[in-house]
Amino acid sequence: MRQRFRAAVSMLAVGFATALAMTAAEAASCPNPRQMDGFKTCADVAKAEQEGEVVFYTTDPPQGTTEVMNDFMKAFPKIKATFLRLQAGNLFQRLMSERQAKTNVADVMSISEMTFATDLQKRGGYMQYESPEYAAYRKEYKSQPEGYFGWGTLIVAGLAYNPKLVPANEAPKNWPDALNATFKDAVNTKLSTSGLQDAVWYKLRQLYGEDYWTKFATLQPHGFDSYVQQFDHMVNGQDKLVHTAQYSAYLQLKAKGADLQFVFPTDGVVVGQAVYGVIEGAPHPETAKLMLDWFLGKPGQASLQNHHYLSSPRTDMAPPPGGIPTGQMKVLLIDDWDAYLKSRPQFVREWDKITGIR
Amino acid sequence: MNTAVERRGPDRRLGRFLVVPGILATIGLLVIYPVFFLVTESLNVGVSGTFPPEDIGFGNYQDMVSDTQVLWNTAFVAVLATVMAIGFGLLLAWILTRTAIPGRRRLERLMELPYYMTPLVGALAWGVIAAPKTGLANQLGRLLGANGNFLNIYSAWGIAWVMALFEGTVAFVMISAAMKSMDPSMEESARVLGAGKFRVALTVTLPMILPGIVSATIFVFAEMLSAFAAAFVLGIPSRFIVITTVIWQSTSAYPPEYGRAAAMGLCLFVVLAVAIGLARLVLRKGSYATITGKAFRPRPMRLGARAWPMVTVCWAYLTLAVFLPMAALLMTSFQKFATVIVGDMRFTLDNYASVFRQGAVASALTNSFVLGLGVATVGSLLVGVLTWVIFRARVPARSLVEYVVMFPQAVPRLVFGLGLLWAWLWIGQVLPFTLYGTLWILGLAYLTVLLPLGVRTLAGVVLQIDKSLEECARVCGASWSHQMRTVTLPLMRPGIAAAWLLIFISSVRELGASLFLMGPHSKVIGPAIVDAWLTASSELSAAMALVQTGVVFVAVIFLLRVTRRYSGEPA
Amino acid sequence: MSETDIRIDIRNLVVDYGDVRAVDDVSLSVGRGELVTLLGPSGCGKTTTLRSVAGLEDPTGGSIALNGTLVYSAPERRNTPAEKRGVSMVFQSYAIWPHMTVFDNVAYGLRVRRMSANDIRSNVMRVLDLVQMRNFADRPASRLSGGQQQRVAVARAIAFSPEVLLFDEPLSNLDAKLRVSMRVELRELQKGLGITALYVTHDQEEALAISDRVIVMNAGRIEQIGTPEDIYRHPRTLFVADFVGNANVIQGQARGAPVGGEVNFVTVGGPVLRAAAGHAQAKGDAAALQAAYVDIFAPGRTDVPNATPGTIHRCMFHGDFIQYVVDWPCGQLLVRRPPTNRFAEGSAVTVSFAPEHCVVL
Repeated sequence: MRQRFRAAVSMLAVGFATALAMTAAEAASCPNPRQMDGFKTCADVAKAEQEGEVVFYTTDPPQGTTEVMNDFMKAFPKIKATFLRLQAGNLFQRLMSERQAKTNVADVMSISEMTFATDLQKRGGYMQYESPEYAAYRKEYKSQPEGYFGWGTLIVAGLAYNPKLVPANEAPKNWPDALNATFKDAVNTKLSTSGLQDAVWYKLRQLYGEDYWTKFATLQPHGFDSYVQQFDHMVNGQDKLVHTAQYSAYLQLKAKGADLQFVFPTDGVVVGQAVYGVIEGAPHPETAKLMLDWFLGKPGQASLQNHHYLSSPRTDMAPPPGGIPTGQMKVLLIDDWDAYLKSRPQFVREWDKITGIR
Repeated sequence: MNTAVERRGPDRRLGRFLVVPGILATIGLLVIYPVFFLVTESLNVGVSGTFPPEDIGFGNYQDMVSDTQVLWNTAFVAVLATVMAIGFGLLLAWILTRTAIPGRRRLERLMELPYYMTPLVGALAWGVIAAPKTGLANQLGRLLGANGNFLNIYSAWGIAWVMALFEGTVAFVMISAAMKSMDPSMEESARVLGAGKFRVALTVTLPMILPGIVSATIFVFAEMLSAFAAAFVLGIPSRFIVITTVIWQSTSAYPPEYGRAAAMGLCLFVVLAVAIGLARLVLRKGSYATITGKAFRPRPMRLGARAWPMVTVCWAYLTLAVFLPMAALLMTSFQKFATVIVGDMRFTLDNYASVFRQGAVASALTNSFVLGLGVATVGSLLVGVLTWVIFRARVPARSLVEYVVMFPQAVPRLVFGLGLLWAWLWIGQVLPFTLYGTLWILGLAYLTVLLPLGVRTLAGVVLQIDKSLEECARVCGASWSHQMRTVTLPLMRPGIAAAWLLIFISSVRELGASLFLMGPHSKVIGPAIVDAWLTASSELSAAMALVQTGVVFVAVIFLLRVTRRYSGEPA
Repeated sequence: MSETDIRIDIRNLVVDYGDVRAVDDVSLSVGRGELVTLLGPSGCGKTTTLRSVAGLEDPTGGSIALNGTLVYSAPERRNTPAEKRGVSMVFQSYAIWPHMTVFDNVAYGLRVRRMSANDIRSNVMRVLDLVQMRNFADRPASRLSGGQQQRVAVARAIAFSPEVLLFDEPLSNLDAKLRVSMRVELRELQKGLGITALYVTHDQEEALAISDRVIVMNAGRIEQIGTPEDIYRHPRTLFVADFVGNANVIQGQARGAPVGGEVNFVTVGGPVLRAAAGHAQAKGDAAALQAAYVDIFAPGRTDVPNATPGTIHRCMFHGDFIQYVVDWPCGQLLVRRPPTNRFAEGSAVTVSFAPEHCVVL
């Protein structure tokens, strides 16, 4: 009799706990997310359409972003979507200056560096909003705790080379192969302003030690502010190899018919990200939430992939045109964000020396 | 008669008293107020970008001292580029205003072309032409048997060359404005005494237009110090770093080093202040009044057979500065992906399709245009008055006005744009309305940074106006403003027209300040092209740049028809 | 004048500026050592003609020869540039270079001719002496007064001993007293050095004072060429009569044949005067009478030539002379008399003048 009672109590307890847990999970998101065309949203759509406007701050290329905005406006004809594009550092500083002066302009922001996102979260810059679409994203791709930001796109970094100048036997197959002396004065990278470069520096340092970068410095790499220039110089023969080569750039050029090769290093690709979130104090809160849901949902993801050739963090999306799905790649993710953030000044100092800036 | 003068005395003095403070207050607001933010930030050794700063110190300035290589690079390139640019400008100005070579009118108009092309785009184009290994010129050289690379644009000389090519036309406009206002009998008397044309040019023309040359040199030098596009494109990959690239790095980095950027920017100003001081010393030495009341027509010299080398020089400059880069850009804009290896080229119209399809480019162009028209019109008139006050008015502290007006010129636009951003952001807390994020703030910014350009263009002309022409008007009873309007400003017509044109083109191609002040609803074309270059493709940016250049060119031709009547020249 | 003595020979010169014909078929010649003046109002073409001789203009037709050498010829398409012509010129605005010293200004032409430093020095000092500017040799030219600049301009022009010297209204920027003294100096200099000069001015007093011959121009054409006395005493056209001196123009008609150079002139106002017969092409519908040639007597005199009654309308004291405006039957007469005798305004008088002074046009 006592055993049955204890069983009942424990079953009740479990049931209670489960019920609690379930309620908790549901209360974090809204109780009845509205099903839109291809995605769910907790925003008040009627109010959003009344607001009629949304401002998107982004680091993504403006040509592609214009198309993405057009896609959004096609889905929501009553809402006018405009954007401002700046480099990561400038964008963040702009946002901070505006917030300090209590002039809020941005509604939704996409920024290509985790350092900024975590900083903004600490300062209470993100609106806490549990997008129902977060359910489709891995824990590593979201803020801790959930509801502040999420990774909207993945930026895959590997190696790329010009097959006319690099014969098959010299072609690198992993990261250490890139240290070959044949690439001296014929390899390029990004500058220390790039978050992606920071990630590559950090991960390869973890894998191979400081030695890797000391050897790399002897190759006297050319530093560029943008991946466009990196690839241009490789395709037209100025450089042989692109170190920290963006997969999206490779796909774009391949689609145009250029002759180049991309390498998925056997030890793994380094992955950067564009972090999406709603800004606290946004002038158009409901449209902002709607837009975030759209971005994180399948329609927005498809739009980003088609126009930017970027990879989606979602496992239920097709790969960008001409590319392979992220699931098939060996991915090197940063796991210790605090240590990574702390190492930033050191990265800037070392990298500026490697690229000859200082 | 004495009583009449005395009766007017106090009014006149009061007027004079109000003029300078009035001007200083307005200009001060435009120029000094943003600088205040820059100075504060340069002393900020705490968290970058906070206002008011938490930690104050001189750390940023101390850091600069250790960057001697950068300082040396900057000075070297600036001096080299200035010498080259003034050389181009002087030679072209002399040929086109003083000699009667065939096709002179047409060449004079064509000389403005290089200014339509932004230095960014010029650097890009020259990269295609003269990059080591793959540049078209080097490919040609190898075909002809040369070993290795005989041209390398990715170097200090390459940067100076590109900058000089495009600033040479500014020098040309300034110096020829001064030349056109010169009394021709000065040169005729030398000719009659038997001096050949070149001797006349060297011993008479050159010394007499010295004010114009000095003005142009200072302006060009300041531009070179604070130029960043060419160094950005050609310097970073070749590891040749100057101050402006460091500033760019500092402002793009995270955490941003605004303090360092502000400190470096402000130090460039010190250099310019010294330069202006020297210039004033030079200009004060002689009386150069040459526009007198006599009717005259500047008569160009006939050269006969020696005209042909001159014509060649002019066309050579145009080829190097305009046609060759345009051709390189054209080729690039039609490519699918940028390559100079002829065998690899694939052509397409996609880039132009993108440009015309996207509403964003059209609206950016429109914005740039509207801003250009507005800023040029307001600016050129304002500049007319300001230049007169600085160089002619008998009011106290007019050199102070000059320093204040010229200040923005030496501070790199990038840095100044930041100051403007903060300044106008914070003023929104005081005023009931805000200009932040609108086209108005861009307009104000352009006006502020382009005033020095106008003043420099007009300085040479104003200095050459004989005072008696203005005094005559005053004696006839004209008030100061009436005299300005009916005598001085019309006499300065050629200079004002030149200033208008320069300001208009500079507004449309403005980049540094716009980068920071653009808003989601107020985009302009310069940053759009840079964006395309950084994030889309060189081909798209080439297409955009060509479209921008073409549209501006057409607009200016149209405007020239209108203004040529105003400046008193035959159409 | 023999051919070799002609220093400047202009034939049928035509200069057009667009639609405007500034110089219309002008022919003149200047002999060795002569000072010939082109006189006329602004816009008459005198400066353009002068500049064409200098080589600073681009004429449309005709020919110009200097010292027997053709320097401009329309049919031969020749136009020698200014720096090769070897003529010197003094400009109206002096064109003194402010960035050089007086010495350097004057030495310019000599340096162009690559003379030795000693020769240059001696020449410069010689001409500075001639214009009394020796002490100013090292002064910066920007600090000279108008008169001083003018002297330096002249010194500069004669420093290399040119044979032909051109003057473009050199005295018009000076004040009156300076003008008078400078014109005397210029004439002395020119005669002393034996330089052939072509001089342009609008000031008829100046032209009359210094010239060997005067050429009066109007609207691009030559009205009359002659010595100063010729021009003054025997004007051939209304324009010359009006422009030179202070002439009264009397309307009327010449009647009958000239006898001994005199002819009857029936004035519109009534009186018949004895006038000097004009030149062969004279139209005879007006007569010119210089104000200085009219005498004023007490009323009622009949024993003086061409005696006519009149009334003093206005009397103005000019220092060297008294100018009267006299009402007479033919209108108003301008009279200039020495300041010794003064007739009051309103008084009746008799005006008189010799027939030779009243020239039929």
